[in-house]
Amino acid sequence: MAAAPLSRIPATPDIGRMHRERAERVRAIMREQGIDALVLLGNTNVVYTTGAIWPFADSGRGNFEQPVAVVLADDESPHLFTPVRPDDRLRDVLPSDHVHGPAYLDFDEGVGVFADQLAELLPSGAVIAFDEWTHALRREHTILFASDTPVDGGRVISRAKAVKTADELACMRAGLRITEQAIAGVQARVAPGVRQTDLTATFLRAIFDAGADANILDPIWQVMPLRMSDGPWTTTGDLACPLLSTERELVEGDVLWVDTGISYAGFHSDFGRTWIVGRDPDARQRAQFEKWQSIMDAVLDVTRAGATAADLTAAAIDAAGGVKPWMPHFYLGHGLGIDSAEMPYVGSDIGEAFDASLVLAAGMVLVLEPIVWDDGAAGYRSEEVLLITADGWEPMTDYPYDPF
Amino acid sequence: VPVTVTDVLPDDEALRRARRERVLAEMEADDVDILIIGREANARYIAGAPRLWIAGSRPFGPGCVLVRATGAIHLISTWDEGIPDDIPHDHLHGITFNAMNVLQMLHDIEGASSAPRVATDGLTPGSAQLLPKAFPVAEIVDGEQLMRRARRIKTPEEIDAIRTSVRLAEAALESAESALRAGQTERQLTAVFMEAMASAGVTTPTTQDVAWITSREHPWRRSSRDTPVAAGDLVAFDAGVINSGYVGEVGRTRAVGEEAAATKRLFARWDELWDRLLEMCRPGTPLTAFFDAYDAAGVPLPPTPVVRGLGLGYDLPLATPALPRSAAEDRLEAGMVLALTAYAWQEGLGAAYGQDPVLVTASGPELLSTISSRNC
Repeated sequence: MAAAPLSRIPATPDIGRMHRERAERVRAIMREQGIDALVLLGNTNVVYTTGAIWPFADSGRGNFEQPVAVVLADDESPHLFTPVRPDDRLRDVLPSDHVHGPAYLDFDEGVGVFADQLAELLPSGAVIAFDEWTHALRREHTILFASDTPVDGGRVISRAKAVKTADELACMRAGLRITEQAIAGVQARVAPGVRQTDLTATFLRAIFDAGADANILDPIWQVMPLRMSDGPWTTTGDLACPLLSTERELVEGDVLWVDTGISYAGFHSDFGRTWIVGRDPDARQRAQFEKWQSIMDAVLDVTRAGATAADLTAAAIDAAGGVKPWMPHFYLGHGLGIDSAEMPYVGSDIGEAFDASLVLAAGMVLVLEPIVWDDGAAGYRSEEVLLITADGWEPMTDYPYDPF
Repeated sequence: VPVTVTDVLPDDEALRRARRERVLAEMEADDVDILIIGREANARYIAGAPRLWIAGSRPFGPGCVLVRATGAIHLISTWDEGIPDDIPHDHLHGITFNAMNVLQMLHDIEGASSAPRVATDGLTPGSAQLLPKAFPVAEIVDGEQLMRRARRIKTPEEIDAIRTSVRLAEAALESAESALRAGQTERQLTAVFMEAMASAGVTTPTTQDVAWITSREHPWRRSSRDTPVAAGDLVAFDAGVINSGYVGEVGRTRAVGEEAAATKRLFARWDELWDRLLEMCRPGTPLTAFFDAYDAAGVPLPPTPVVRGLGLGYDLPLATPALPRSAAEDRLEAGMVLALTAYAWQEGLGAAYGQDPVLVTASGPELLSTISSRNC
């Protein structure tokens, strides 16, 4: 799996340039689609377009205090309506007259106020696209919200963010490094008698100390059953994963599937490995890892700009002896960036026709996560974060596979 | 303090039943036949099943469905761990990335083809176009309103759950406060809070913006999260955990080093404001009374809510200066749990901030926090 070193990623990102390039991309797509204004409610879409960074809250709180972005086709700076105190880095990327108080788009009164504010920014009859459409927005029948179903603004962002710029890659690499630095401390702590929640405690302490903006999911330290039939029932008849962490104590020999990620500079990281508690892997477990490596090598051999997702799934299936070496409710791989799982999805239930049509492009960041299941002896799963390049790929991380 | 939890378990049956009955009653009141839920807190309220915690908002997508005629629940879950036994296997639907599979799931729900009224707790442009294909004769209506009505008054079991969460938040807050000294950064204080929370067995925060140095120059702004705390700073803490789905939150302010006379005077102003606000927490109080209390104390309102409901995440009521008409139309009721916020800022000094969970009872306010927020 040798690859070229990370050659095209600057050591330090130029945040101003990153936002200018993003704004150009978003506004080019808006012009192409005849969209005058984008109204964005989704946390990650707001982060992408405005550069505002705040630590994400629980979703039950997040829905009540949701920053809103308004991107205008004829203004290089977006507007931000925010109930949270964003990081002071915002001052470098948004003019102060583009930062407003909160917009409550889940309340009729809040939508009324927001409609008046939009009317000052836009001519009547402007085409407005939304990523989310609350019932309160749907009830507002002023001229600004006249059409029955608005244009899908989320798709604009999905398209704009798929290929990462050099500055974005620098931010992502920094976030991945924080994650793996924290993980090294966690891995050192894994031992019989330690609870899953203790590993989480160590991880959370370390990521914030190292500069993370937020944790993005309750970390997974799943103890895998030796046989699939010993695990929970599933709709697929396959593995149940990821299962929630509890105060369960680890036992010598437990096979842990680890999956976690953080947020840094607006980007999400991803980490996945298999660890064994208090023991070295035995011969059967080493064989699982070797098989996993051979599958990963086969996929990496065909991974390059211009390859389709179907090329990757075919290589994986072939190397795995004719079976799909991934969990049917997930995928062989997924994109990573502003969201922890985003396009391109490789091998998902969107289907084979979609995989055949999805062409990888240089600058996409892909997480490959094949698994090897060896019923009776659990299995092996790790994740590799890659940058797609014109002639192949580059690794975004160098975390070791210990104890394998 | 909760017992050690080593299994993923559904919420208690009595709690689940009481919550579900409230939702079914509100569906009946709005004549809603099928309710489609995207928001995780609403799904937890109805189904009582813990699912993976993910930070941040998510766009609407069907994650849970409740059928009024039968009380049947359909849930997006690929496995049955933590799923209550009143949701059978054939009502569990695997994670999907394919909108056509979502459509098929909705289409196959009993009564989908003939349901006159289907409610959702949110929409996206895409789902707004998809839903009529699954429910060909239905009018699509607002389900978030009915969920808010169902959730605004807490059952006794819910109040117990909030008490437990508040204890956990307070314990983790004490750890973060004890780490407060000059030279620490906001991130480092957050790190201490998170470690203490997870060590106590709870790994899910309500907010990850745990500590901030209040600004001496601006009533609401903040500096970089990497700025070291300095002597004389007023540092605010927002400590919140989610345990069994329920929020426990407390907010406090601590002075770094010796309290100056001006700081003591600011804290005294805060205490006076707090007493006025707390006194308002009685059934029948209009929400605008909280704005009046700030006015009477001579303290400008902060831009954020001063009252909001707590439960599975945030609930109604909501009193914020940004929504004065909504506040004027709503009154407190017994059984509400409020996050009550007092915030007083002084130029050159910083802010005194405190937030406490308050239960509204027939006989007045009951503080659910045990560590006093009073400063003097």
